[in-house]
Amino acid sequence: MGAFEGIDKLGRYQPPTESCRHDHIPSPHPEAAVHSPKLAALHARLSLPERLPLQTLARSLVDVSADSDPAFNNSSLAILGSDILGYYTSEFLLCHYPRLPMVVLFAAQSAYVGPKTLAALSQEWGVEAAACPGGEVDPGLLQFTQVDPGAPPPDMLKPGTTSRPNDDRHYRRGLSSRIVYDDQFGDMKANPDSGIAITGSSTSFPSSPSRSQPTFPPPSSSLSSTLTSHRPNLGPDRQPTASRTTAYAPPPSRNGTTHERARQTFVRALCGALYLHCGKPYTRSFFRAHILSRSLRPSTPSPATSSLPSSSAPQGLASLFAFTQPTRDLSRLCAREGFEPPVARLISETGRASRHPVFVVGVYSGRDKLGEGAGSSLDEARFRAAANALRGWYLYTPGEGEVSMPSETEIGAGGGNGRERGGGKKYIPPFIDPGEVVV
Amino acid sequence: MPLQALRSATKPQNGVGAFILQCKKLDFHYCDWAGSSKGMNAFLQHNLPTFARQNPQVEITVSPRPRKHPVIRGTYINGREKAVCVKNLEKDQILKKAELLRDASGEKLRRVTKPVKSVNESVRGVWDPFHGAKWNI
Repeated sequence: MGAFEGIDKLGRYQPPTESCRHDHIPSPHPEAAVHSPKLAALHARLSLPERLPLQTLARSLVDVSADSDPAFNNSSLAILGSDILGYYTSEFLLCHYPRLPMVVLFAAQSAYVGPKTLAALSQEWGVEAAACPGGEVDPGLLQFTQVDPGAPPPDMLKPGTTSRPNDDRHYRRGLSSRIVYDDQFGDMKANPDSGIAITGSSTSFPSSPSRSQPTFPPPSSSLSSTLTSHRPNLGPDRQPTASRTTAYAPPPSRNGTTHERARQTFVRALCGALYLHCGKPYTRSFFRAHILSRSLRPSTPSPATSSLPSSSAPQGLASLFAFTQPTRDLSRLCAREGFEPPVARLISETGRASRHPVFVVGVYSGRDKLGEGAGSSLDEARFRAAANALRGWYLYTPGEGEVSMPSETEIGAGGGNGRERGGGKKYIPPFIDPGEVVV
Repeated sequence: MPLQALRSATKPQNGVGAFILQCKKLDFHYCDWAGSSKGMNAFLQHNLPTFARQNPQVEITVSPRPRKHPVIRGTYINGREKAVCVKNLEKDQILKKAELLRDASGEKLRRVTKPVKSVNESVRGVWDPFHGAKWNI
């Protein structure tokens, strides 16, 4: 690669001459990536492998609101990354907790790879945002255009722009329709044809008819040349302004985005880039190290969950349940499973006539105790006991050696005991549950 | 109403899984003229290249600060800064200070009195009058 125009051989900054100014292009030049200390530091801080080039890392930092050209922004990488994150999270949840009800599955998915989590993650990685995007900005900064003050938020969905049919009639959003029409978190998503750039769950290009560029150059050893071939050398004969205006004219009014959405898109795009450059095994281990290792725990430890196993994931998942009528759900469950109807019995009590009575109630099905709960009234304790019994049922997990996720069993998945070369773990069919109780 | 779910977000546990060094930037300020920068100038010439190579995850900048004492300033992921004045120090002492800033978490310094600080619930649980041995008097 030739020397970057703004930097001489000793790494000293040279003021740009008239022929090689970069402030006419909307996002930094790919060649600038190898000279950015911020970018190199971010690459090392995340312990990314050498196979992920700095140019791609720089590209994953460019939001669609900064550079509308899909060959230089991260929207295509973010689509891929969003799908990968969703896949790894849902397979972990479904294989380890096969009885999770659908609403809780949506909530858990959103807790692990939802918008808030991803935005927080990029902040914990130390990614800083550029005040304003541009070609002269350090490529190690997150590049996006802020939404205008007073403008409607970019993720606001109006009727007619969602992926649901007849959404202007305000039909009830039932759970089954959420599985079909909505995104991986059960939230409404924008219709890809409506022209809204979505980053909530999946990203799409803003609608512009003249987008026929390849969305991503294939990962190859000659990546830098591939990238620079898209953005030609800025010699005097090929001015950046000329090539940009003829090939990809930026739209006159840019749709801005929020800082939080730009941060989410970066994390998704980085996962997509890792998948393309480093393959499935590395992406899986990156996902486990950065996302699955986060703790999902209740903000305040509640006595209701104290009878559950002390591992962090089930305790956190238990805090996502919000029962409205646990006793009814439990009797329906017992009827469905053929257990004896649940009976609540008082186990112990103290201070019934005092200011702080405590009752401990257990729910029993025949001679089996299904759950136990303590409360300051008999009804409260009974509800807590039924809710704990339901949590115990829904949070069933097969033993540690009896779970194998599909991605672990793929050829070349690495991990596991690897009996044959490149082979994954032995496939164990996952437990399939009839489903949650319908009331 | 059937079962509902509460929306929440996972919290970071740095070091469980991946470890992110909290120091993201170190600024070294020196003066070409003043005597208090003598050790700093030697450090910049002899130790800093090795230090930077050993710590690629930290962005390092070197800039003059004429007629002032030499300073190392660390910027941390939590948004705080920590600055150490290294006037009249030898280059090995300055290396110690740079390592101190690199290893710091960026949190305010607080006196730690408890032996263990944990976000996890206690394994033994909160004492409960209704479980355990029953005493009959």
